[in-house]
Amino acid sequence: MFQFNKKKLAVLCAMVMIFSCFIPVSASAAVDYWQNWTDGGGTVTSTNGSNGNYSVNWSNCGNFVVGKGWTTGNASRVVNYNAGAFNPSGNGYLTFYGWTRNSLIEYYVVDSWGTYRPTGTYKGSMSSDGGTYDIYTATRYNAPSIDGTQTFTQYWSVRQSKRATGSNVQITFNNHVNAWRNVGMNLGSSWSYQALCVEGYQSSGYANVTVW
Amino acid sequence: MKKLLVSLLLSIVVFICACSNDKADRFMLVEGGTYINTESDYYKDGISITDFYIGKYEVTQQEWIDVMGSNPSNFTGNNLPVDTVSWYDCIEYCNKRSEKEGLEPYYNIDKNLKDPDNINEVDNIKWIVTMNEEANGYRLPTQAEWEYAASGGQLSKNNRYSGDNNADEVAWYWRNAGDTYLSGDWTWAAIENNNNNTKPVGEKKPNELGIYDMSGNVREWCWDWFQDDVYDSGYFRVCKGGGWIGDVICCEISYSGKFDPNGIGSDQGFRVCRNK
Repeated sequence: MFQFNKKKLAVLCAMVMIFSCFIPVSASAAVDYWQNWTDGGGTVTSTNGSNGNYSVNWSNCGNFVVGKGWTTGNASRVVNYNAGAFNPSGNGYLTFYGWTRNSLIEYYVVDSWGTYRPTGTYKGSMSSDGGTYDIYTATRYNAPSIDGTQTFTQYWSVRQSKRATGSNVQITFNNHVNAWRNVGMNLGSSWSYQALCVEGYQSSGYANVTVW
Repeated sequence: MKKLLVSLLLSIVVFICACSNDKADRFMLVEGGTYINTESDYYKDGISITDFYIGKYEVTQQEWIDVMGSNPSNFTGNNLPVDTVSWYDCIEYCNKRSEKEGLEPYYNIDKNLKDPDNINEVDNIKWIVTMNEEANGYRLPTQAEWEYAASGGQLSKNNRYSGDNNADEVAWYWRNAGDTYLSGDWTWAAIENNNNNTKPVGEKKPNELGIYDMSGNVREWCWDWFQDDVYDSGYFRVCKGGGWIGDVICCEISYSGKFDPNGIGSDQGFRVCRNK
């Protein structure tokens, strides 16, 4: 019969507590941000589901961005998600998206898309989470931002092939941050929101995603 | 006949006085000195500002049209601040207004050569602009002058925003510049859906010196190149005060924004100064 050893259990508990201090809390923080924007074109019906779930049904849209994530971003975020459905008919992205300030940078990690794969100025490629991504930069001229109208740079990691949906997957954001840094793309020091989003542009479709 | 002549002369005198008073009403004399507002970085530096005149209001669209003949603004209204003006546009306005009013232009503008100090990659203008420092014409405030005036000069009450510690009292910014008062975090989506826009000048509470809208409404160009730990001088010009798009931190007196000199935006305007 198993003898319950209180001393060994106490030591084990203490070890678990000590080692838990080294788990980066920021990598696994609860989702607290809901993004729900449309420019009003067409019909876009979004549902803010429980916890990290959301869905969006769109028809002949203008531009919309719907997603869930974190109010304060960070470089070490591990984005878990399951896109149970991502079915754009036309232009749309399934993307991790966010901002930094000081320097003002808008960034994307695109896992899937509809008819148009985004590109820009090619900077190289990298591997992460079972896929290979191309790295691009682009410039937004005189565009609105949290700092007012600015001309600012966008950083893009775009998967070379569309990622399969319907299962639990991860985006290890730190891999992208490091790869960007290696080609001279340095994010800012102050973090604004970051979220796993569905974006549609002049298209129709349906998506159902859960983020954690 | 004599009575008619006297009446005519009196009318002319009254008209001239009215015009002069109108100009005087649009400017404040800022008494110089060292910074009192402890919120300002210049307070620590101990630098001193000399007396100067500054516009009580942001330059309006009517004032712009009177000098330049057309209106570049995204939002239209005579008493709205002019918007969508680059730093170069404002420099040109200052000189043209000076010439129109018989003042000595403050700036020398060379449009033929590119400024070697300008290292901005998206600036396709790069005029060489230098100052006639003794001239009495219109000019942009320096960053130090702007912050001194915004902080209330010698009458400063140590406010975070120009005129109050509560941004809503003194500033039009992303939360309050539209149909409803926006809560939550800054998103462009919310601002756009809320129909945010610029507001007529002078409708918020003024600061200690009686100057309006130095926090919020439109960002205001300053003379200086922007410089910090990340960016060398030569990329951006300083813009202060924040506007109807950016986060409220941009409305703080001590915050210095930056923008490409040829940059334009519907939240970008200016106010003018003159030497005493």
